[in-house]
Amino acid sequence: MPREHPLAGVERELKVGPRRRLDLIEEVDADVRALQGELERRGRTPDEALEEALRQLVPAEDALEQLEARHGSRLQRRILAARWLDLAVRLGVGAAATLAGLAAITIAEPGPEGPSATLVWSQVILIALLAANAAWAGARLWIHGDLRSGERRLLWTRHGGLIVAAVALAALAAAWEGQIAFATIDPATVSSLFAWAVVQKVAHVAAIGLATAIFGLFGWLAITPRMITDEEVERRIARFFARGRPPLYPSTD
Amino acid sequence: MQQVTLSKRINELLVLAVLDRGPAHGYQIALSVDERTGGAFSFQHGTLYPILHRLEGDGRVRGRWQGEGRRRKTYRITRDGRADLAAGGAELERQMRALMALVRGSHAA
Repeated sequence: MPREHPLAGVERELKVGPRRRLDLIEEVDADVRALQGELERRGRTPDEALEEALRQLVPAEDALEQLEARHGSRLQRRILAARWLDLAVRLGVGAAATLAGLAAITIAEPGPEGPSATLVWSQVILIALLAANAAWAGARLWIHGDLRSGERRLLWTRHGGLIVAAVALAALAAAWEGQIAFATIDPATVSSLFAWAVVQKVAHVAAIGLATAIFGLFGWLAITPRMITDEEVERRIARFFARGRPPLYPSTD
Repeated sequence: MQQVTLSKRINELLVLAVLDRGPAHGYQIALSVDERTGGAFSFQHGTLYPILHRLEGDGRVRGRWQGEGRRRKTYRITRDGRADLAAGGAELERQMRALMALVRGSHAA
């Protein structure tokens, strides 16, 4: 069975940005290799030398905590010191969602009446959820300093899903408005004024959905540059573990 | 500079003293401290790295990456580091003298 790289646990546990994680594991790995070689030259067996080098140099819990404290953001250090990190993140996410929802309600007022109103008002919930999702990612990035690959995928999946839902609901509401308006009248008697009023209604509900999607896309765009950089470093970390095992660490038991 | 405990301060001075003799990689610092203190002081479980990174953050040592692919980091002491080593060494010597005087005094009593 493949043995885990001795630094995999360090990389997993260290809650700092990917650049710092990569720097640390590369630094420790190079030192472990060099110390192992030095101890072998001094007469230790390879196994003894490796064990000693790992014991001396691989950061344990206490060292990891100190490294996190050193490399975390100033905001993270203050919040961690005050021990209200989780509460702060939850409050921030809740506040962002509430504010976005209230702003959407204010903009959409008085809003359409009739069956499509439900679909239109559901956009308010979508906007609140988009804001909450972006705020959650922002908190992870700028307070914890780190958004792991799994969390990043979750962020995009949620965000993409909410944007698609906004567009789909808007299209449905617009179609509904049009269908109700035109299904109940005789086409021969439709005036241009009536048609214009229907187009306005359809455009209104479609625009609300479009605005929701654009709001979501802006959140996406705000975080994407940092995400791309982090993703590239994460790939380098993955390459490090892929290439790093065989020469120094036995790959099988 | 932030306030540090006595043991952290000693660790900092150990690292600075090694680097005062010339640039070194992390493992060389750990090895050198162990050898030059006759095993009285040694860094275990990666405790060296928070110290090195703190000294680097404060500008008392400078870290430099070398090599492509497999990178290695070399540390060298800065002017601020040398000044801190001198001041810290003197302060520690004073504290140790006071401590030993107290310990020996209590034995005599």
